[in-house]
Amino acid sequence: MTVSLEGLPVATDRAKRAGERYTGMILLAPTMIIMTVVGLFPLLHSLYMSLTGYRPSDPDKFQGFVGLANYADAVSDAQFLHSILLTLLFTVLSVGLSLTLAVLLALLFNVRLPGFTLLRTIIIVPMLITPIAVGITWRIMMMPDLGVLNYVLSLVGIPPQPWAGEKASAMASMLLVDVWQWTPFMFLIIFAGLSALPKSPFEAAAIDGASPIQTFFMVTLPMLKPVIVIASLLRIVDAIRTYDTVYIITRGGPDFATDLLSIYLARVNFRFFSLGYGAALSWLTLLIILAVVLIFVKYTGFMRMVNEKEAR
Amino acid sequence: MSSSITRRGSILSGIGYYALALMATAFFAFPIVWMTLSSLKSDADISAYPPRWVFAPTLESYRKLFTELNAMDALINSAFIVCLATLFAMIAGTLAAYGLARFDVKNKNFIAFEVLSIRMLPPMVSVIPLFIIAKQLGIFDTPWLLIAVYTLNGLPFVVWVMRVFIQEIPQSIEEAALIDGCSRFECFWRVTLPLLLPGLAATMVIIFMFAWNEFLLASILTSSEARTLPVIAASSIKAKAISWGLGSAAGVLMSLPIVVLVLLMQKYLVRGLTLGAVKG
Repeated sequence: MTVSLEGLPVATDRAKRAGERYTGMILLAPTMIIMTVVGLFPLLHSLYMSLTGYRPSDPDKFQGFVGLANYADAVSDAQFLHSILLTLLFTVLSVGLSLTLAVLLALLFNVRLPGFTLLRTIIIVPMLITPIAVGITWRIMMMPDLGVLNYVLSLVGIPPQPWAGEKASAMASMLLVDVWQWTPFMFLIIFAGLSALPKSPFEAAAIDGASPIQTFFMVTLPMLKPVIVIASLLRIVDAIRTYDTVYIITRGGPDFATDLLSIYLARVNFRFFSLGYGAALSWLTLLIILAVVLIFVKYTGFMRMVNEKEAR
Repeated sequence: MSSSITRRGSILSGIGYYALALMATAFFAFPIVWMTLSSLKSDADISAYPPRWVFAPTLESYRKLFTELNAMDALINSAFIVCLATLFAMIAGTLAAYGLARFDVKNKNFIAFEVLSIRMLPPMVSVIPLFIIAKQLGIFDTPWLLIAVYTLNGLPFVVWVMRVFIQEIPQSIEEAALIDGCSRFECFWRVTLPLLLPGLAATMVIIFMFAWNEFLLASILTSSEARTLPVIAASSIKAKAISWGLGSAAGVLMSLPIVVLVLLMQKYLVRGLTLGAVKG
């Protein structure tokens, strides 16, 4: 133990003496080059484009530098604001629902009866399916007239639902698909976290006569917090960018009911070819994602957790 | 007497647990079963109502997939692009992770965070510039463009996860090898790398999965020559009103390799997916 603690400064000193001063930089070089050429460069290009009126489909229009005009337009773009609100709603509901479901599933499977390991493996599979395939499959199942979902509902006496075909139920249908695909991801992580918890706090709670519900809220949940925070953060970042399944099932419709940010952005860029304006919207989206992540990180004390981990 | 009551109680709750677990499993498994069944149905069986559970299975959809949608080309493209991108990301990322974990690098935490920020980037921000730049360089619709982009996408995962795995290997082991006269490279190759193998394999499977399943970038940065499986699967939707068999067959074809690969690596999956933060 003492050896590895002392090892840190000694190793650095020796690295310096052995002329390995630049080895660290050399090791990082390939990553930095790829990040600059493929990552940073297009990003700056996009930032520049967002300040121009670039629109190749409309050569009569002024294509040059327009300053912050695109950003000014974006702020008053009702369709954009609608997409932002829809995306935030979608993200909160999707992550919230799949988190709740995942915690319940993790508690259930923590009972560990024979055969549960196999069922657990089966439950994980949806997160591995290509999102495009998920979209295709759910679209087939949700067909209002021929779909198997309405058939199953009819067996238990529930009238057929329009699913993604009507404005009122389209958003709920997309949430169903997202929760189906990503609850397994949350479940996998939270179950692992639950399995790794120490036994003694639970024994103490049992001795103190705590009810199962008390034990859950006073012991299990606080100890699971770091795992829940990490799983949620990873899911939030991905849920805000949801594109593939919505693209296949509704393309943002009907009547813009599922017009998430990424779908609207794709329309501005690839249907209207307003590339300057589209770049400005992309940058605003990036800022929104950053803001959401920062708020989440601050509110949950994520950085404190990471620092504590590093210090150990 | 009382013990038989509690035993009956625990049997009842056991049945309850099984019922709940089976219901949950059915919910998550059903769409996958349905996709597989649909891919084996004939066009008549697929559009039948009420839906047919028993039917004569046919590989017709798979045959069409290869004849009408050129699935073989897409399969080869996907495999080539994703394998190379995974390889490049693994090599560059592991080197960077080793540098961050073992050497004095200026602004270490800043670099680490910068790497992670790629993970948050909406693909829509950089896809148009990439499209324009690629057109000018003449690499649009070639595999190399997607290889570069997927390498970049995989890097943050590799750097973060491998950094955690490397930090867990005691430095004293490497020092012992150095004292015994190994060079830095030998020491990494012979001592550290073998200990990293489980971590490397898990990370590799995860970034392979991300790249294999990626659609948005692939759909915009390719047009005919370099199309990947998700792109041709999505094109089965547009073509005709009833090409559900084709879509399902494409879904099964592209999902199968990932399901097999990941389930084999299940043990290390949690660790990798949470950027090393949660032990599975």
